[in-house]
Amino acid sequence: MEERFVIPRRFRNTSLIFISIGVLAFLAGLFGLHGDVGVKRFWSVLVFDSLFFLYISAASLFLYCAASLAQASWHIAYKRVIEAIMVNIPVFAIIAFIVLMAVLIGHKYFIYPWTDPQVLAHDTIVAGKTPFLNVKLFVIFTVIIMLGWSLLSLKLRQISLQEDRAERGVRRFLWKTIFFSAVFIAFYAVTISVSSWHWLMSIAARWYSTMYGWYVFAGSFISLMAIISLFVIAIKNSGQLSLVNKEHLHDLGKFIFAFSIFWTYIWFAQYFLLWYGNIPLESQYFRPQLWGHYRFWFLLDLVINFAVPFLLLMTRDAKRNYTTVTIIALIVFFGHWLDFYLMVMPTVLPTQGVVGWYEIGITLGFVGLMIGLVSRALSRAPLYPVNHPYLKEAIIHKSDWG
Amino acid sequence: MLHYESTVREPLVNGNKDYHQVTEDIISPIEKKPGKLWWIALGFAVTMLLFGVWSVFWETYWGIGVWGENRTVGWAWDITNFVWWVGIGHAGTLISAILLLFRQGWRTGVNRAAEAMTIFAVLCAGQFPVWHMGRVWLAFFILPYPNSRGPLWVNFNSPLLWDVFAVSTYLTVSILFWYSGLIPDVATIRDRAKKKFAKFFYGLCSFGWRGTAKEWQRLEALGLLLAGLSTPLVLSVHSVVSMDFATSVIPGWHETIFPPYFVAGAIFSGFAMVQTLLILTRKILHLEEYVTLGHIEAMNKIIMLTGGIVAMAYITELFIAWYSNVVYEQGAFWWRILGPYWWAYIILITCNVVSPQLFWFKKLRRNIPFTFVMSIVVNIGMWFERFVIIVLSLYHDYMPSAWVYYSPRWPEVGFYIGTFGLFFTCYLLFAKYFPVIAVWEIRSVLKTSGENYKQKMAALEQKDTEEFLQEVQHEHALAAH
Repeated sequence: MEERFVIPRRFRNTSLIFISIGVLAFLAGLFGLHGDVGVKRFWSVLVFDSLFFLYISAASLFLYCAASLAQASWHIAYKRVIEAIMVNIPVFAIIAFIVLMAVLIGHKYFIYPWTDPQVLAHDTIVAGKTPFLNVKLFVIFTVIIMLGWSLLSLKLRQISLQEDRAERGVRRFLWKTIFFSAVFIAFYAVTISVSSWHWLMSIAARWYSTMYGWYVFAGSFISLMAIISLFVIAIKNSGQLSLVNKEHLHDLGKFIFAFSIFWTYIWFAQYFLLWYGNIPLESQYFRPQLWGHYRFWFLLDLVINFAVPFLLLMTRDAKRNYTTVTIIALIVFFGHWLDFYLMVMPTVLPTQGVVGWYEIGITLGFVGLMIGLVSRALSRAPLYPVNHPYLKEAIIHKSDWG
Repeated sequence: MLHYESTVREPLVNGNKDYHQVTEDIISPIEKKPGKLWWIALGFAVTMLLFGVWSVFWETYWGIGVWGENRTVGWAWDITNFVWWVGIGHAGTLISAILLLFRQGWRTGVNRAAEAMTIFAVLCAGQFPVWHMGRVWLAFFILPYPNSRGPLWVNFNSPLLWDVFAVSTYLTVSILFWYSGLIPDVATIRDRAKKKFAKFFYGLCSFGWRGTAKEWQRLEALGLLLAGLSTPLVLSVHSVVSMDFATSVIPGWHETIFPPYFVAGAIFSGFAMVQTLLILTRKILHLEEYVTLGHIEAMNKIIMLTGGIVAMAYITELFIAWYSNVVYEQGAFWWRILGPYWWAYIILITCNVVSPQLFWFKKLRRNIPFTFVMSIVVNIGMWFERFVIIVLSLYHDYMPSAWVYYSPRWPEVGFYIGTFGLFFTCYLLFAKYFPVIAVWEIRSVLKTSGENYKQKMAALEQKDTEEFLQEVQHEHALAAH
């Protein structure tokens, strides 16, 4: 039971290669992307990619807390994978913080138009938002949110590791986890919305949507489920994580399936109500996507985030098949990356955005970082929460009624 | 098959029970004559229902003009009550479908009553749009079919029509779900029945159920299938209801957050109503061992969660109204909070946001009188939420010259009271003649979660994890042979 995670060489190599690609893309972008379009591309990709990975890490803390509060046992067999993702919140928070501060300090007005004195002088709508959209409040909220997420992730990880060292049958840690989980969920409910308004929605400074926080949450949560599935399957392929079997995989498949539908529901509700109301201030947001330059990506986003998981993961057998789940998790992960891309690029570059070497390169860099960080975190603790009161339930867990 | 559940979890069935005792406890109240309390309650319910019938008759005879609505506030109590009742009707399907998919064992104690409650609530809700038509004899116009009225068709672009589809689909699936689960239990009553009529009646209702392996297999497959179908319905019904408002361009209505916000509110109020009913039912029918404090606490947690989501939605809509910098959006919320209806908004916030925070305390979550009071407070709050959204977004519209104040008149109030009568009449009849707890579903969790069975699990709990794992693998190997 005291299984230790040995980082497979493939993990290490992939991680290093991807990080190198990321660094190369970054350097090439820094020196090679010139002109109005080049600079905009350089920064907006950094913004949405760093936020995408930060939101995914935060979503894993959300999953951890939600499952703890619900006193779930289905995830206990790979609880350490979830933990290994969530403890990286500080790293991705620091990266995102540096990027955001560079954007603000470097006066990159094309990302946050509300920092541009010229926009504020002419656009009364944007100018009226300055009590919320101002650099000072932006920085304060960003620091509070990132610190809050980071500290709570470390605290919960600490409790989990303490339990490993304690005697079996001690329930103190279970209740402690529940307490801090409740604190985080309440904090997250507020901060997922506020952060998404500041970091992402304010890029389209004139536009607004009450659904936005939900939308960011749904996208990051489903990406997280894809990442967990990929890690679990990859670790299993390396001959470890023996407690995990098809029953647990089935759960992950169900989550990808169900939350893909949930994401589509949120997407549709937001899009549809803006379309139906057809108020120019609101519907202009979708113009570059629906009728303009981004039409292909816009439609692809829907197909791969809804149609693919919906049709291919419908059956029981598909959810219990390692290959199918791997392929769909990869597609869905790309799909939600694309979705984050579409949250930023059509506003910053309405007619010139591409998905090219730079976008792919930076993203691979983040993926490599994620693989490296998760492997490292996994290797630092037993692969199972050996003293968790629900571990035995996870062992006999059955995902279906058959 | 190894029956094991962590001893951290409290039992779902208290007391020393076996299969027979479960049947005895739940079925025997049906076989007795109803008590005095039941007759009194039924008398009250029928009186309210009759008053509702009279109110509706009055409205139909004289026309919608007898209600308090006017040119500015064209929608008021009637639609408020519709949304309120539909919302309440969400808990049943959430419990029976979503909690089934999430494999929450505690749903077995409450699902039957909640499903029945759902159906009755949706029936009550359905009354409002129908009688609001005024010329109710033309109600069939809302059904799309090739007709002799020339090009006069329903408007497929109207969310009101989608509502007709959404609610009727929901009602159909809920009834199927509820009734298919009821069949084995009805057959049990039939088998125990002594009187000839009871035997005939329950025999008819049980569709000839014999309890063969094939029948059970099909019932469970059907349950899963219906759960899969009704899970999206839980979300879609109130989403469509919210679109009655959100597709418009009326400030305070036109918000993208409306669909999930309405769904969360619906579950919030639905669970509150389940609490109200079950706290009374468990007491009157002595079912405290089946609807335990654990069940009540679990439902209070859901009330807390959905209450939190709703609270966050209130904050979001308020913030975004300001943030939008659209003067009409800002105006709508200004008049909502500071206008002559300020008290409605205060009630809403007190009942829905402030008071549920008390559930952060475990002691209060497990306190029955407190839960009972809260369950009613929450539903008052949820009624005011709809009132605030509907009336308070309309009464000060784009044109200040059209601003009005709205008050209901007696036929509107009477109609609302009448639906309470309908609801409680149905529930009382159900609770008397059908098992309020699903006997066969309780049996299915008894061996893992019954108190007496759980005591035997201490040995498994003590066992080393490694040893436990080997035992499980050994059993799997045996099963494979």
